[in-house]
Amino acid sequence: MRWVIGVDVGGTFTDVVGIAPDGQELLAKAATTPGDQGEGVVRGLANLAAAAHLTLAELLEQTERIVHGTTVATNALLERRGARAAMLTTEGHRDIIAMREGLKPERYDLRLPPPEPLIPRHLRIPVRERLRPDGSAEIALDPSSLAAAIRRLRAAEVEAVAVCFLHSWRDDRHERIAAAALREALPGVFITTSSEVLPRIKEYERFSTTVANAYVGPIVSRYLSGLEGRLHAAGYHGPVLVILSHGGVAPIAEAARLAAATALSGPAGGVAAAVELARRGLGQDLVTFDMGGTSTDIALVQQGGATIGQGSEIGGARIALESLEIVTLGAGGGSIAHAGAGGMLQAGPRSAGARPGPACYGAGGTAATVTDANLVLGYLDAGNFLGGARRLDLAAAREAVAEVATRFGLGLEEAALGIHALVNARMADGVRVATVRRGVDPRGSSLLAFGGAAGLHATAVARDLGMARVAVPILAAGLSAWGMLRTELRVAASRSVLSARSMPEDGEIAALLAALEAEAQNRLAAWLDGEVAVSRSAEMRYGEQVFEIDVALDGVAPTAEALREAYHARHRALFTYALPGEEVVLVGARVTASARLPAAEPPLLTPSGAGPAAWRGILLPGGAVEAPVWPLDAISVEEPVQGPALLESATTTVLLRKGDSARLDPRGWVEISLG
Amino acid sequence: MDPVALAVLEARLSAIVAEMGEALLRTAYSQILNSSRDFSIAVTDAEARLVAQADHIPVHVGAMPFAARAVLDAFPGAIGEGDVFLLNDPWHGGSHLPDLTIVLPVFAEGELRFLSVVRAHQSDIGGATHGGYNPAATEIWQEGLRIPPIRLGENFSVRPDLLAMLALNTRIARDFEGDLMAMVGAARLGEKRLSSLLVQHGAAVLMQGVAEILDLSERHARRIVSAWPDGTWHGVALLDDDGHGREDIAIRASCTKQGETLTIDLSASDDQVLGFVNSSRPNAHSAACMAFAYLLDPEVAKNDGAFRALRVVMREGSVVQAREGAAVTLCTSHCSNEIVEAVMRAMQHAIPERVTGGWGRRFRIAITGRDARRPERRFVWHLFHARPGGGGHARGDGWDTAGEWHSAGGLKFGSVEMAEARFPLHFRRHEFRPGSAGRGTHRGGLGAELELILRSEGEAIANTAGDGARHGSAGIAGGADSAPHDYALLRQDGTRRALRTKESGIAIQPGEVIHVRSAGGGGWGPPEAREPALIARDREEGVVP
Repeated sequence: MRWVIGVDVGGTFTDVVGIAPDGQELLAKAATTPGDQGEGVVRGLANLAAAAHLTLAELLEQTERIVHGTTVATNALLERRGARAAMLTTEGHRDIIAMREGLKPERYDLRLPPPEPLIPRHLRIPVRERLRPDGSAEIALDPSSLAAAIRRLRAAEVEAVAVCFLHSWRDDRHERIAAAALREALPGVFITTSSEVLPRIKEYERFSTTVANAYVGPIVSRYLSGLEGRLHAAGYHGPVLVILSHGGVAPIAEAARLAAATALSGPAGGVAAAVELARRGLGQDLVTFDMGGTSTDIALVQQGGATIGQGSEIGGARIALESLEIVTLGAGGGSIAHAGAGGMLQAGPRSAGARPGPACYGAGGTAATVTDANLVLGYLDAGNFLGGARRLDLAAAREAVAEVATRFGLGLEEAALGIHALVNARMADGVRVATVRRGVDPRGSSLLAFGGAAGLHATAVARDLGMARVAVPILAAGLSAWGMLRTELRVAASRSVLSARSMPEDGEIAALLAALEAEAQNRLAAWLDGEVAVSRSAEMRYGEQVFEIDVALDGVAPTAEALREAYHARHRALFTYALPGEEVVLVGARVTASARLPAAEPPLLTPSGAGPAAWRGILLPGGAVEAPVWPLDAISVEEPVQGPALLESATTTVLLRKGDSARLDPRGWVEISLG
Repeated sequence: MDPVALAVLEARLSAIVAEMGEALLRTAYSQILNSSRDFSIAVTDAEARLVAQADHIPVHVGAMPFAARAVLDAFPGAIGEGDVFLLNDPWHGGSHLPDLTIVLPVFAEGELRFLSVVRAHQSDIGGATHGGYNPAATEIWQEGLRIPPIRLGENFSVRPDLLAMLALNTRIARDFEGDLMAMVGAARLGEKRLSSLLVQHGAAVLMQGVAEILDLSERHARRIVSAWPDGTWHGVALLDDDGHGREDIAIRASCTKQGETLTIDLSASDDQVLGFVNSSRPNAHSAACMAFAYLLDPEVAKNDGAFRALRVVMREGSVVQAREGAAVTLCTSHCSNEIVEAVMRAMQHAIPERVTGGWGRRFRIAITGRDARRPERRFVWHLFHARPGGGGHARGDGWDTAGEWHSAGGLKFGSVEMAEARFPLHFRRHEFRPGSAGRGTHRGGLGAELELILRSEGEAIANTAGDGARHGSAGIAGGADSAPHDYALLRQDGTRRALRTKESGIAIQPGEVIHVRSAGGGGWGPPEAREPALIARDREEGVVP
């Protein structure tokens, strides 16, 4: 075994987790570098090397895999700072992405402003061509029309082009010809076609996903190739895998090509970690609470599994690719306290980010952030932040919070407590959106708190929601990066069935599934060898339905009769009835090959047996108290630590309030019961 | 129940109706349901009070309890577990004939607790013309098959002989049966989910929780209404015509807000007319509820509690409450839209920041014929494409091609690719219609332009059913009305034949083009106050002439 390394770029910090050949897990951090995230990644790797007593070159030499989560696409979509993208589309149909099939969300909110499409109308350029649903040409692609469109694109100086023609799901030849012409005429421009991105019928979903891909493609591929270059220069020649929105990983080239699939790459690592911790016995129902500097991600693990949906909407852009269901709040440790529109004290959504950061970082920030308030309250140790890697400026924090206090006529400590309580309430609301609004009672679940800032807020948030149990992983600050190393590599091969009959003959079905399995296995083998799990499914429907059901075929014989039976059974299970006399149509088949990324199991933890390292005066809503400060690895397995108390590690601090009691679980987390 | 448990329960009930809707969408056979979502789902309690409603088609929001009530009244003391009820008649709990409603009782501890209600618009319901809308009808018997509340089956199954009789009375029996089974399936899914919820909490605790949710919604709605000024305001909306020569039929709303209650009085509306723009009472009541819901904050739960803050008054014999026997099929579109428009025209004087510019009127076409690719069966296709625009409002421009008041973005036109794969149609053009929006500080949303080539095997027949070729979408608070609809048939010989909004039996030859230019939404606020940057953007985007 060699090293495997997970890298999670957050809004404020870049976390790097390395699993050493002996299974030991190490965490290092570096400030995120928003201009080029790659800079911070390499700095984080250097810090990891130092922690392992190696040079960066030595570490990378001994590394077999790097898995990476990035927020480059997410930020571009949320902040609408994507590429200047254009669309080539079938003449007479250029408004498909703006029409949204006539559907508007929030039925009773008639004053909801409509979203701006990612590509404005004047850059949705029609081309004379038209296919029919059977793939035959109503109008062959007109070269002069294509040439005219390319001239317009050149004049508009676009960085990306989405090629979106009707019925390309059935036949991609017009899209391929157009893409080839574009690549030749516009070198360096990111070209993507709808038949590559999502080869399925229904043009709105296909086009909007392709447009999102064009919008984030140039930025993501520029970033990833830059990162690859930096890693190369630093001496790394192994594979870099990128975690995608569905929680699986893909090689860098694939992530650059399908950039829209990285839209939820950042938070996906945390969900993967939660699933792994559930597997290790943390509990089957978890609410993940990943609070970083700029934003907070909340997701559900139910019965040990993540919830995956058929798409996501980010910054008003519909991306119809498999995706984890994650609620993101624009608030975290770096959120700035200010007077909101109604004159009330608010925390966020504006954030001090990585630069300049909170006032107490002394890097030029003067606005009071949640972190500044936490420092004023004594929850953080000015002299020992991030294990001593950074000194915090208490005076600057007090000055910043004092300014807020004056504006609202509060005392300094009152204002700090107010900011802290406010952000707790926002976080609890976020958890409600992810649970209660979906009809899930959070009280049956544990709150899994991670990310650098979660530990100070978790028990207050849990108490607000009536949750009885909080778990803080020892690697809390780097859990997302750790989770990336525990996920799986997954490849799906799928094909539409375009048979004249509704159900092909037995031999054809068997041949189709075998071909798909071989394709998936081969593609996976190119990236990884190891044990591969294969699952097969068939998309079917009754004759007149338009939505298919993806029916798992594990244990089902590859025959027409068995497929029909499986469809009736699945239909009955999902919808309470079946129509046994009806024709069943096989629409498509899919084979997924997946392999767990190999990583050594970590050793069980043994508490150091030491007592509290220090005592610190902290301020709680009830008044000031002297609280013991326990090293996180000193907490006993049997004897719980009672709150109020602080638990500290080099990367995170956990605040126990009155009534909270914490004990160590040797499998890798601190378990907190709320009294 | 404690506040958290109540919030969870409310969300759980919403999740159940949403899941039922998703199931119906995925299992239905006809395009009108599986592509355009013309259906609604509700749960009522054993008193037919609306407990939860999925956000599908707003014009059904206040109508579903009438269906539940009709079943309770028709079978007093004779409702058993597993019974499946069906109805569609507008004088027996329905709104209009094409909307079939399935009602399934939910029992716990031996008592009726809930009714699981699924309403879905059928592609055809028999009668004189295909597609459910008969513009020539002057009485309901010409509009289709009337079904009072009937017990369609027991033990959660459907009586095959009854099903066969119903299907025999419609033109596309296979779709009808598939859709009806999908409706029963969705209602059964709701019954299962509600039953397990009852077991989980215990019936007494759960029903107490439901009562508290209704009370909370009532307080929420009343709190909002109480902040509006007291007073009485009047608004008038005009229908184009009734298809039999009567033009400018007036819907008059007198809105009185006093304290925590709004009264919508429609009794000064014109007398009932000959054609199918008359409304049944459940539908008119529901249209008033819909207008009220649009004026509240969107977060208010749409249930019986919220509607306690509304009083609706109407007069039998008027166009909004026609006497039994009148033709009413168009009413879920028209005069529903005009009821909302009249309320909005009145309320713009009281709360202009809550009132939006007019949403477009519905102008549908139903085409029947044969497809050479599947010659064994006849098709009926309903036009949902080329939707009109939504109204401008205090916070911005209207939504483009988002539809009419009665659905407000809830009807989907569905995929062009899917329509071409399943019907003999070719969409030569389907884009925004520049210049269609009503001007305003915030303009209306755009309508659409559609050129649809028919490629049927032989001649096809079309019916139209709609309004708004004379009157555009209403401008509000100083905004301008939009351009009205403009539909035509382009003949093979190059001539252009205008399509009226209420015509039946239009013969279309293969290769002829239906040319639709739909209305935009109404503007909000004086056009002179529009920001120059928005005017410049509209020019660059080519959406204004």
